[in-house]
Amino acid sequence: MAKTKTLNKRRNSIRSIRKITRTMELISTACYRRAMDRAVSAMAYTDRLTKMVRNLASSGAEVSHPLLIPHEETKNVSLLVLTSNRGLCGGYNGSILRTAYHRWNQLIGKDGEGTQKVEDPSLIISGKRGISYFRFRKITASETYTQFEDKPAWDEVEPIANKYLELYLTGKLDRLEIVYTKFFSMSKQAVVHETLLPLTEIGSGEESAEEKHQATADYDFLPDATSILSEVVPASFKTKLFKCFLDAAVSEQIARMVAMKAATENADSMIQVLTMAVNRSRQSQITGELTELIGGVEALK
Amino acid sequence: MELKCIVVTPERTVLEQSAMFVALPLYDGEYGIALSHTPMIGRLGSGELRIQKDGQIDRYYVSGGFVEVLNNTVSLLTDRATPMAQITLEKAEAAMEAAKAKPFTTPEETKIRNAAMQEARVMQRFAKKATH
Repeated sequence: MAKTKTLNKRRNSIRSIRKITRTMELISTACYRRAMDRAVSAMAYTDRLTKMVRNLASSGAEVSHPLLIPHEETKNVSLLVLTSNRGLCGGYNGSILRTAYHRWNQLIGKDGEGTQKVEDPSLIISGKRGISYFRFRKITASETYTQFEDKPAWDEVEPIANKYLELYLTGKLDRLEIVYTKFFSMSKQAVVHETLLPLTEIGSGEESAEEKHQATADYDFLPDATSILSEVVPASFKTKLFKCFLDAAVSEQIARMVAMKAATENADSMIQVLTMAVNRSRQSQITGELTELIGGVEALK
Repeated sequence: MELKCIVVTPERTVLEQSAMFVALPLYDGEYGIALSHTPMIGRLGSGELRIQKDGQIDRYYVSGGFVEVLNNTVSLLTDRATPMAQITLEKAEAAMEAAKAKPFTTPEETKIRNAAMQEARVMQRFAKKATH
């Protein structure tokens, strides 16, 4: 009797957990759609910028900009880590933080291999998960952000981008690195470690051969191609950073969707097993009672 | 034939509409674009973007960016495009305060500060114009 009761209780609690994970799956699906829409509409800007860079470059303009030149000495390196504010998204934060922690150890010279010790590394973390991870390891972050949720806004990212631009231009920062989850496709997202400053290229650099052969019109440049191109450089950095945030947001939602889907399926199979156990124990209980009854009747004869 | 005016910010395409005439703020002053304009790429300053069509004028505040004119299409790439009505004196003054608070000990820092102050000044000018 008692066994059936406990089994039933367990089954009910798993049922309610299943309801929660299922709801979270649906929510993250909706969030993912929204994040994806934003990422897609942000593409328009990058595409146009790349196209313009190509037009400028084809006019023979050479670009030289302080942002493209590495500083002679690399002393101040900032590592920017993009994690999520909320958990329950599978290995999303874990894999970012593993990469980031490894990189951080390299920067402070604690890691045996591949050490690139720099004089003054600083850590910038976005997302509560990352903040608590590094706090636990007694590593102080110089800056933390928690305002980025599933829809990072340009107005929030731009001041941050401007800040690092200014720091780099005034020589207070020699390199800006970022660890985040890059979105390749719906089925592929991977943690990447990139160097944002100094910039290595402007524009996204992805152009098809067909576009390359397109005849470019004879443009008038105001003021001139070179100075426009040098103005494109900071804009290109800002959009790059913004894209990192957008990618991270999209990847987070996908990770959560996948994790919650798996959790729901697990709960389903557990419910199935438990239902079977409940039925069996109920059946044996009934059988037991029947035998008792028949035994009693037999005894009365 | 009409001009097509497209305004794109890093977040999204803000505006896509036809126009008869577009006036935009280049880095050194206002620049007007009518039909059959020669292909052009220019650097934007901060100021007012006016899109004129059928006697109706839409006004936006843009700050920095680029413009490309090709085949009667005017595309603006800008950080921000705000309808002029949303530019208020308070916002402009807040921008000014933020610019003034920046450090100016090295030439590079001074340059950044001056650029920020210049932009705040333009914002103030338009905000004042709107209130009058």
